[in-house]
Amino acid sequence: MRKYSVSDSELISLYKNGNEEAFADLVNRHRNKIFTTVYMIVKDQYLAEDLLQETYIKVVNTIKTGRYNEEGKFLPWVTRIAHNLAIDHFRKAKRYPTIVMEDGSNVFNSLDFSEDSIESQKIKEDTHALLRDLIKELPDTQKEVLMMRHYMEMSFQEIAEATGVSINTALGRMRYALINLKKKMTKLNIAYDKNLYPK
Amino acid sequence: MIKTFTQNDLLRYIYQETTKEENTELETAVIFDDDLSNDLSELKQTVLALDGVEKSPSKFCIEKILDYSKTYQAHAVN
Repeated sequence: MRKYSVSDSELISLYKNGNEEAFADLVNRHRNKIFTTVYMIVKDQYLAEDLLQETYIKVVNTIKTGRYNEEGKFLPWVTRIAHNLAIDHFRKAKRYPTIVMEDGSNVFNSLDFSEDSIESQKIKEDTHALLRDLIKELPDTQKEVLMMRHYMEMSFQEIAEATGVSINTALGRMRYALINLKKKMTKLNIAYDKNLYPK
Repeated sequence: MIKTFTQNDLLRYIYQETTKEENTELETAVIFDDDLSNDLSELKQTVLALDGVEKSPSKFCIEKILDYSKTYQAHAVN
């Protein structure tokens, strides 16, 4: 949803020419969305960080050896790699992968931690954990579209193609996901608060 | 004449998948249609809440990724 003055493609071009700052911008720009996708699968901060690093080793190797294909968008490409690695992790562990959210544990966001008091940070984290639980309760088809559109930043057309449905069905699923989420939030009295959702 | 918009149109608008012309039409329609305006506001708030759900990797994790890239040649040679 955010617009940047320098596009991902431009950053990748700079990176191909040896500009490591451009790569840092690219990594920092998308770190939360990619990390969240992995985290929602593995539900473990440290494992998710390992998988994020593994993802970027593949990304760096692909770009630095000139094998990066500009046809697709960067974020969906990286997120797919991360998603596949997370699923592979479960396959190796002989477990069945499903997109699930954290169980309410309080792992503080280390990057933003210093900006808030411990108490307000705790309230934020608890609220966000509750929201993750609410997303977890959504029907699979709605949860899938929500993850693909919001965190993987795939367009509704791309989601329709990937899931074999019409664009209107994809839009409808997303709409119902948001309506259901809103109902659950209202029921639990989770009011919208700009301090909780600062972006 | 003000065009009619569906909830799906509002979603496409929020996720910036509408054209410039559609944006102008929708933004005009919202001024005159309170229901549409309320629907848009509610959807926006829920979408905004999704951003709060995002988790962040540690600074150390990001530094390791950036270090790998900076020292790529060393890895490649080995």
